[in-house]
Amino acid sequence: MIKFLFKGVIRDRGRSVLPIIVVSIGAMFTVILHCWINGIMVESLTMNANFNNGHVKINTRAYAKEASQMPIDLAIIGVNKLTKELKLSNPDFDWVHRTRFGALIDFPDSIGETRAQGPVTGWAIDLFSSGSNEADRFNISEALVSGKIPAKSSEALLSIDLAQKFNIKPGEEFTLFGTSMDGSMVFRNFSVSGIVRFGSSAIDRGAIIIDISDAQLALQMEDAASEILGFFNTGKYNDEIANNIAASFNKKYASSMDEFAPEMITFKQQEGMADLLNISETMSSIFIFVFVFAMSVVLWNAGLLGSLRRFNEFGVRLALGEGKNHIYKTIIFEGVFVGLIGTMIGTAIGLLFSYILQEKGLDISGMMKNSTLMMPAVARASITPSAIYIGFIPGVLSMVLGSALAGIRIYKRKTASLFKELEV
Amino acid sequence: MKISLVLVITLLSFNLLGQSAIKVLEKVDKNMSSKNRILESTMTINGKRNSRIVVSKSWAEGTKKSFTEYLSPASEKGTKMLKLEGQLWIYSPSTDRTIQISGNMLRQSVMGSDLSYEDMMDDRKLQDLYMEKLIDREIIEGRNTWVIQLTAKVENVAYHSQKMWVDTARYVPLKQELYAKSGQLLKKMEFKDIKNAQGRWFPYTTTYKDMLKDGKGTEFKITSILFDQSIPEYIFTKAALKQ
Amino acid sequence: MVAFKLAFRNLFGAGLRTWLNVSVLSFAFVVIIFYNGYLDGWNKQAYIDTKDWEIGNGQLWHPTYDPYDHYSLQDAHAPVSGNIQKLISSDQLTPVLITQATIFPQGRMQNILLKGISPAQQIIKIPSKSLDTAGSIIPAVIGKRMAFAAKLKKGDNVLLRWRDKNGTFDAKEIQVVDVFSSNVSTIDNGNIWIPISQLQQMTGFENEATLFVVDKTYTAGNIDLWIYKDTHFLLKEIDDIIESKKAGSVLIYGLLLIIALLAIFDTQVLSIFRRQKEIGTYIALGMTRWKVIWIFTIEGSAHSILAILLGSLYGIPILGYLQIKGIPLPKTMDSYGITIGDRIFPSFSIGLILSTILLVVISATIVSYFPTRRISKLNPTDALKGKIS
Repeated sequence: MIKFLFKGVIRDRGRSVLPIIVVSIGAMFTVILHCWINGIMVESLTMNANFNNGHVKINTRAYAKEASQMPIDLAIIGVNKLTKELKLSNPDFDWVHRTRFGALIDFPDSIGETRAQGPVTGWAIDLFSSGSNEADRFNISEALVSGKIPAKSSEALLSIDLAQKFNIKPGEEFTLFGTSMDGSMVFRNFSVSGIVRFGSSAIDRGAIIIDISDAQLALQMEDAASEILGFFNTGKYNDEIANNIAASFNKKYASSMDEFAPEMITFKQQEGMADLLNISETMSSIFIFVFVFAMSVVLWNAGLLGSLRRFNEFGVRLALGEGKNHIYKTIIFEGVFVGLIGTMIGTAIGLLFSYILQEKGLDISGMMKNSTLMMPAVARASITPSAIYIGFIPGVLSMVLGSALAGIRIYKRKTASLFKELEV
Repeated sequence: MKISLVLVITLLSFNLLGQSAIKVLEKVDKNMSSKNRILESTMTINGKRNSRIVVSKSWAEGTKKSFTEYLSPASEKGTKMLKLEGQLWIYSPSTDRTIQISGNMLRQSVMGSDLSYEDMMDDRKLQDLYMEKLIDREIIEGRNTWVIQLTAKVENVAYHSQKMWVDTARYVPLKQELYAKSGQLLKKMEFKDIKNAQGRWFPYTTTYKDMLKDGKGTEFKITSILFDQSIPEYIFTKAALKQ
Repeated sequence: MVAFKLAFRNLFGAGLRTWLNVSVLSFAFVVIIFYNGYLDGWNKQAYIDTKDWEIGNGQLWHPTYDPYDHYSLQDAHAPVSGNIQKLISSDQLTPVLITQATIFPQGRMQNILLKGISPAQQIIKIPSKSLDTAGSIIPAVIGKRMAFAAKLKKGDNVLLRWRDKNGTFDAKEIQVVDVFSSNVSTIDNGNIWIPISQLQQMTGFENEATLFVVDKTYTAGNIDLWIYKDTHFLLKEIDDIIESKKAGSVLIYGLLLIIALLAIFDTQVLSIFRRQKEIGTYIALGMTRWKVIWIFTIEGSAHSILAILLGSLYGIPILGYLQIKGIPLPKTMDSYGITIGDRIFPSFSIGLILSTILLVVISATIVSYFPTRRISKLNPTDALKGKIS
């Protein structure tokens, strides 16, 4: 019977097309919305990971205590070896070096003397390595107001307010004047390759972004960096794996009393981050629940409508002597097929759209014209494994429920009045 | 932004050498100051995790003019610094740039270092700034000293009061403490290795320590010193920075 | 009027199906109001908190004051003029003097902003009253974030070093007499509040101020050299955040609304399909086609009226409860420097509710109208027979 019904669903378009379309649309929306909400929820977390903590972060113990002061003298020495080991033992991660530092930048006049000068916060990240994702993590291409991302040594990005204050355009030179890792004066010339606006006044006021290799040269931090960050190659934070890695990493140094021993913390171990994660998970599941519920009601409705459409058909079948139970069963089974087929189609399309929304994002900048915020102007979806099955909950369940509910009417029909009902 | 300790100490030590006070201070002054001096020094800077040594050569005339060139380590070799009447320029050969430290920057003291550029720029004589009072006698490492209390008589000084232990025989300070207005001890300097140079007693080693912060402080050692030399005037010009 | 009566009668007649449609639409309706109310509530609360704790009804800035450039603080202060003194006396504004300083908790060095505030002021919520002590030690109040960062607690002493107007170092212990808890991180992170008279005396900036916080009664705008910054200017960053959140949420409730509208659309298509005889009869009786379209469109859009009624039925108690109780939030949000409370109390304005009602009704009417267009192409004879055209 199942085979027969399945063929019926496939071959009899009148029976199946419209319900399948409705179920597909419903499942598609559910999948897209699921991914979208997920995307929004992870956005703020991703920003935190990208800018601050990575998925795991390694500092020296001493640095971690005074991180807010950007003490490069407490940076990790021997990062290359450490990173090599990390890459070997944890190939699922993208390991990057970063250094944040304070310095002065000084713009020369025509004879090379000081024309303008100001303090900056420097962000040294990996811009040059092929395959480095750091520029994306900082969303630099979108933050770029003019010029381009540094492509070779001694190029730097300058924050917008600073550029405006000193009237600086891409191509101009400046000298970075700061303190090396061991406390000596250091100088290095840079040229401004581009101007960036992140939208956070705190950063836009005075920041430069340079490549980590330039920072190592400029600040005499050979083989050193303030922090080593690890990002899951999947892009998604996995607390269990992160915890295991951090635990085994820290175990190696557990007996060391050295305040410069490296120490790894996970994204979630950041102060207060666990709460934030819990809340966003809760919020996300509430949203999804609400949506799945709403979708279920709609599809249930669709199931009802489907049965109503076939009012005449059932009448004829009853008139021909088919049992009410049998008809009811076929209704249910057909509901299952329609639900399954529709959900599969819908989920596939939904995943496709979600993927586009994940990769391309949706430009919401038009809706936030006045905003100068660091929030990306492009909002993105984020596909999770659950996106694959989430559509089936409203898709199949409610389709079947709807059919089941609608089918009850079969039992109310009386053979005597059948032909009256069928009268054209 | 951290002012390099090297810079701080270099300039500070000039101030010290240039200081004097009435009576004892005058004698100290007479002993230690000269028309000009050329000195080579090594400075040991004790960071949190390592120490490093900077070698430099300086030319100074009075307290208002000084010129310093760094000789090593390689990374700092060729860096030059010119201080002229309250202005400060730093030249770095790697960038071929002369950077002037000015404006609000002069008063900044951020990260690590506890002196601002402005402090180092202070080229006035101690007795112009402080009222001196002999308050005690003490023995420091076997030597008799007078303890002189210095209290600011002008307003614009970094340290409201100082205490100086002066060797009674050689007229050399052996210890100096710098205090806040409230009386809180802020910094401590110790002078060691008192040797005779061209007929003067001179401390060849100075240690410097910020008392509010943890840390081992910094040691400044003179390897050679020459007084009353003929220093060509062009040394104290911006043009000399680039040479 | 007949159309409306007919519409509701038909809808109620359809029973469960109508109620399913209506419940989904009502859901969309409530969610839209909830989410926007949530953001508005956050916004409003951030406004209120920032006003209460930091900016009052605006601030008067020294011309060179720049909150992001701490180096500017060295010059960004001036004596309180007679004009302003009068306003201070009448409690219309309160002066704040800001200087850079350093504290040394456990031998570590931490740069901070030292802010002088009048213990008697009541314009902002900084618990300045606690600063009204007679002891010889400088009293200080700090926020919970500062307390955490410097590992200080109420009753602790810490050594403070600052420089007076001449650049002379001074250092004294200060005592934390109170730790306040505020949603506004900018008055907390790296800030230490002490009595302004003491700070003026410590720095030698006698009777000087960096800025003034004004209260509601202040109307003068710029005064002497002081530049008035209104709340709109001072709250821009909060506006931006809310704007971006709203933009991001459009898709969420947009989809929800689309689903609800899809249900109505579906119903309309089916109604017209099933009720061809009825339509034919209407036309045969002499109704114009447009009149019939009108009847069916009204019937479809009446879903939205019912949805709004139903939504109000459960929405008002739920949202009302949330409005009173608030929605708890994690405490880390403010580590981004965003002003946000432990709880957000949603704010449902009349404007929000009316505009959402309008959105729901109009969009429901539009989707109800589309399927009915085929009525205009309907042949009445065929329709009477019930034949699909």
